[in-house]
Amino acid sequence: MSAAMDQTAQIRQKARELLENKVVDCVIGYERATDGVNARPLFVYEPEEADRLIFDQTCTHNLTRYLLNRKGKPTAIVVKPCDSRAINLLLNESQLQREKIHIIGVVCPGVVERQWRQASAKLLNACQVCQQHVPVIYDVLVGELPSEPTVAEHYPDVVEMEAKSAEERQVFWKEQFSRCIRCYACRQACPGCYCPECFAERLDPLWVGIRIAPGENEVWNTIRAFHLAGRCIGCYQCEQVCPVDIPLSLLNRKLEKEVLGLFNFQAGMDAETSPPFSTFKKEEKLGIGE
Amino acid sequence: MARIGVFICHCGTNIAGTVDINGVVEAAKQMPMVVHAAENKYNCSEPGQALIRDAIVEHRLNRVVIAACSPRMHENTFRKTVAAAGLNPYLLEIANLREHCSWVHGDGKEAATIKAMELIRMAVAKVARHEQLFPKQVPLTKRALIIGGGISGIQAALDIANAGHKVVLVEREPTIGGRMAQLDKTFPTLDCSSCILTPKMVEVAQHPNITLLTSAEVKEVKGFVGNFEVSILQKTRKVDHTKCTGCGICWQKCPEKAPSEFDVGMGKRTSIYIPFPQAVPPKPVIDTSSCRYYKYLRFMEEKKEGKPPPQCRVCEKLCPVNAIDWEQKDEILTEKFGAIIVATGYKPFDPTIYSELGFGRHPDVITGLQLERMMSASGPASGEVTRPSTGEHPKDVVFLTCVGSRDEQRGRTYCSKVCCMYIAKHAIMLKEHDPEVQCYVFYMDVRTVSKDYEEFYKRAQESGTIYIRGKVSQIRQEDGKLIVRGEDTLLGEMVEIPADMVVLAIGMEHNPGAVELAQALKVSYDVNELFIEAHPKLRPVETMSDGVFVAGACVGPRDIPESVASGGAAAAKVAVLFSQDFLTTDPMVAVIDQMKCGGCLLCTKVCPFKAIDTQVLRDGRTVAVVNESLCKGCGLCVAACRFGAPNLRGFTQQQLLAEVTSLWQ
Repeated sequence: MSAAMDQTAQIRQKARELLENKVVDCVIGYERATDGVNARPLFVYEPEEADRLIFDQTCTHNLTRYLLNRKGKPTAIVVKPCDSRAINLLLNESQLQREKIHIIGVVCPGVVERQWRQASAKLLNACQVCQQHVPVIYDVLVGELPSEPTVAEHYPDVVEMEAKSAEERQVFWKEQFSRCIRCYACRQACPGCYCPECFAERLDPLWVGIRIAPGENEVWNTIRAFHLAGRCIGCYQCEQVCPVDIPLSLLNRKLEKEVLGLFNFQAGMDAETSPPFSTFKKEEKLGIGE
Repeated sequence: MARIGVFICHCGTNIAGTVDINGVVEAAKQMPMVVHAAENKYNCSEPGQALIRDAIVEHRLNRVVIAACSPRMHENTFRKTVAAAGLNPYLLEIANLREHCSWVHGDGKEAATIKAMELIRMAVAKVARHEQLFPKQVPLTKRALIIGGGISGIQAALDIANAGHKVVLVEREPTIGGRMAQLDKTFPTLDCSSCILTPKMVEVAQHPNITLLTSAEVKEVKGFVGNFEVSILQKTRKVDHTKCTGCGICWQKCPEKAPSEFDVGMGKRTSIYIPFPQAVPPKPVIDTSSCRYYKYLRFMEEKKEGKPPPQCRVCEKLCPVNAIDWEQKDEILTEKFGAIIVATGYKPFDPTIYSELGFGRHPDVITGLQLERMMSASGPASGEVTRPSTGEHPKDVVFLTCVGSRDEQRGRTYCSKVCCMYIAKHAIMLKEHDPEVQCYVFYMDVRTVSKDYEEFYKRAQESGTIYIRGKVSQIRQEDGKLIVRGEDTLLGEMVEIPADMVVLAIGMEHNPGAVELAQALKVSYDVNELFIEAHPKLRPVETMSDGVFVAGACVGPRDIPESVASGGAAAAKVAVLFSQDFLTTDPMVAVIDQMKCGGCLLCTKVCPFKAIDTQVLRDGRTVAVVNESLCKGCGLCVAACRFGAPNLRGFTQQQLLAEVTSLWQ
């Protein structure tokens, strides 16, 4: 617990400095929610407000999505290691200007599942298999580097799914998607979903029917997964915000695993490498379908 | 409201033999928005086209579907047909009933008929969503760039300049002339190579329409046909060519010598030099790697111990017009051109990888080009052929063909085309120089494919040259002789020939830097790094990059007549291009909807034609914009974009989706 308190104190101090010195005009971080247990996003504009910032294992949100609304304005942001990959993704896709953002990276032991008005001790599934405990990009790092890296199978759920037959998987996903209410919360939370006009809302051509029906739901979820192929940074926000508990990250991380295997590429590990979709190497074509 | 007419072609029996045409006509009449459907023996014939034109007027058609052969065949024909009836030529769609249906489904009439109906239904659904498209006109710069000053580049430059257009000829070496300038005689007529070449070189230098840039390289190419913007690196010569008169005092007095590149190591040149006496321009350059003054400067810069070498600077002291400029730097020139001809030629194959032949190890094993320099009257040996090891006249000379050609193991699968002939020439010439010489040729096949070549080969045989069919496995030195060991495959036995000199008939390969240039010009190249023409038979000097043409041996092994012909052909194509005042661009290109563009700019990386630029809008958003003159309409950006912002005119997402949707309606 002391480590978390230490991180909180450091974040507060850093945020105050940045605002006082007018390096940034906003710090995006976490504060305690009104239930007194969980965390919620906080936008700090005044130095004296900086003490509201916290960081502990309840800070589950990926805040990078908010950076898109602050284009061009100098902003500081608190990011966990998984969230930091989103910043690289957005830099690579020309959505952010590096010099306008100040990244307060936190060393993360994993965050816990959110429960209504009560503290939880159970690590998120994502965090149980996480291999990234230090942000991949930061200006200042808060927290101690972990002594030994976790070595775990990164895709245990994906591997388990792959073992099933095509029919079993189809039954599984049909059931999952049949519950989808197309609230688009997954899209709103995803740092990679920033199209000015989502294909789901386009009328000409009409890609997805407006009905909430199994067929349409499947199209929506499949196309969204493909739009994230080679781009998903594995932050699990989609899955966390889904009100009907569809395991969306299972779908997205299956594609992440494929892209990693075929092209040796993981989105967001740095801001420079061009995604496999936009490059072609002669040796690549040999790997596909084998 | 769309009023669609469908015209179904029998194509003789090509389509009608497999597809029930009347059934298809009846089905087409029932399709939505179709107001007229008709069949015809040949749509493409003049009466067939007249029927289409009449029907457009009579039925007030505003969309047309032609169900016939591939659009590659006759799309343009029918565009003109509908345009003649007053319709926009892009309100036309072709349903390919021949290549896509009758030819591939010849065994099932019923199924082929159903498929024909479906193809037409798709075309009807698509054409209903067609919009009028209008080609744009862009101005063009009537100025040609020619890369490479060999014989094909020279020919192209002269032809374009004589047609009245400005030409810039860029050459990497200090002189134009290329490989032909190095040759002594040319087969099969035994013309003196430089006697027929140098007048053309002089003509280039004196032509008012030609600007000659030697010691220069093309670095970057931007733009598109009619409007290329090219960065040319003018390498420093350390001699101000605007002042230099070419009097020659500097290279006569220069005390430092270096191996001559032009003489392929068979002779020496001074540090300030012109490559050969008839060089164009006849003005020298300083080779800074061997020049004594630069050696002195490097010595001082590295702060080495000991006595510095002499400063020399003799050329500077003697130059009557003060043309020596030690401060001269590399320069980048940016110029605009309307067309580019690539004539970068070839490099002689380096035979050192054939270790069994001992090139570089035995001094008397030389290449064909080295023999050529030795034979040349203006060459380093003044035309006297001698053994490099002893200086004696050789009596037994062995030639080996296909060194670096037709050899899969060495990665050179192709035939270099000229070697058989230049060996015959060498054998004839050697015999003429000295009747006591005996020539032997180890060959795989003798290829003599052009006019008078076979007769020339016969002449070599009749002069006493012995042709041995087989390959050489080893060359060793014994008692001052080279023992050439090889197999005579016609006799089926090993032969050993004691030789005074061995000449390797080296083949041609791509020039260094060919790939970089091809990439800069967006011209495709093959595994041998040779440039690829747009069509090997019908478009032999064009490339897939509009406005870029190829000539000479950069496309593949060519002899002098072929290089000259292709240079002239490329020049003719440029002249045709320049006969227009404006270029018409194809309107079927991509457009990007700025409201939908999220500015990830992935399309700029995906586009193979670099046709997508960026633009900052007034609201601060950065979006992608298509340069319509560069866009080829490949559609990669459409496929790559998550935002759905690009659309390909003539193949819009709406049109394609309508086609697919029509299949299950």
